[in-house]
Amino acid sequence: MANESAFENLKLELRRGCLVLAVLAQLRQEHYGYTLRKALTDDGLEIEESTLYPLLRRLETQGLLTSEWREEDKRNKRFYRLSKDGKVILKQLLEEWRSMGESLDRILQEVKV
Amino acid sequence: MNLLNRYLQAVARLLPKARRDDIIAELRANILSQMEDREQELGRPLTEDEQAEILRHHGNPTVIAGRYREGNLGLAFGVQLIGPELFPFYKNILLLNLSLTLLILFPVSLIGRAVFPGVAIPLLAQVSIITLIFTLLDRYKGAVLDKWDPRKLPALKAAVEEGPTARNIFEFIATAVGTVWLALTPWWPYLMLGPGALWIPSLGLKFWPQWPFFYGAIVAVLCADVILRFFSLFRWLPRRRFRVVDLALRGVGILIGVLLYLEGPNYVTSSNAAFADWANSTFRVCIAVAIAIHLWRAGWLLFSLLRERHQMLPARQY
Repeated sequence: MANESAFENLKLELRRGCLVLAVLAQLRQEHYGYTLRKALTDDGLEIEESTLYPLLRRLETQGLLTSEWREEDKRNKRFYRLSKDGKVILKQLLEEWRSMGESLDRILQEVKV
Repeated sequence: MNLLNRYLQAVARLLPKARRDDIIAELRANILSQMEDREQELGRPLTEDEQAEILRHHGNPTVIAGRYREGNLGLAFGVQLIGPELFPFYKNILLLNLSLTLLILFPVSLIGRAVFPGVAIPLLAQVSIITLIFTLLDRYKGAVLDKWDPRKLPALKAAVEEGPTARNIFEFIATAVGTVWLALTPWWPYLMLGPGALWIPSLGLKFWPQWPFFYGAIVAVLCADVILRFFSLFRWLPRRRFRVVDLALRGVGILIGVLLYLEGPNYVTSSNAAFADWANSTFRVCIAVAIAIHLWRAGWLLFSLLRERHQMLPARQY
């Protein structure tokens, strides 16, 4: 039981950073909340609505995303897109991600699970 | 969509007022898209149970609202004690308790000259007890917050937008009474001047020749305003359209006011020159005040219209 809880917490921490990276990468193309979630799910990254929609707001507040209300299919929707600053941050995060991945790959090759 | 409206109402209740409409409009659009997708998959409209399942999966309104709050802070001492969902409620309850305690105990302890044990100990005790309660709540929140049923959410409050509000009724009555009063004044000067109206014949008053035109224009604008307020009583105009018409009327009002001001100051002449001076200068001040009020109102309307246009917020629907 304790192990399960510890695993869940660690998994959550591991996912947190990855989600931001995935959302920023996906928003190189414009999306509104629901289609973004679908696109992430289609690529194998499940994310709860209650996590994704507030995350979009936070990233926008940080200046990494821009948004605008627009009508589509007779309904107003808020569309998000990567901002200029967001593109720079995404590039830096991707470099960091690749560097960490290479390091982890090297470390994990020596580990037998 | 009754269930969705009840869900959004429950979330809205816990959101900061400044961002409430915007967040709810976005949630509504996202959830409706999800429901439509599901309907297309099934080839039929969703049942209430299916709608409830989508909402349940979307998340408890308390959790959703907590995640939208600014900062998304929590309380941690090495390990997280209170997560971001409950932290805003923890903070508010703690502040309320501490403020009340200080308000009651501080003056009492000053009289007894025992500030430290008199105030500090109850404060510390409250911080500890409230933190402990919220830590336990946070630890077991999954068991509580996950067990919720959208069908048991509170019913929709009588939509404010559907019927007359106290403010709308007041605005309509005030505008209507003001218009009738101004329209009847030429025939019954008593309405404006009271017993002083008896002196008018002896003053030999003569109005400026263009006065009937301006007076008629003012009364016409006021009549249009009364009609607009009547429409707003029963929401016969969408909010945005109401504001556009209101803004246009304010614009016409400002134009009349400015022209009237520029045509002054000799609006009336009288056999009593001192009285004519006083009446003209008072009238000009009244015009200036009316222009200022209309400008302020027009500016506010313009600002809210531009803001809505930028955000394209739909009318409040919950």
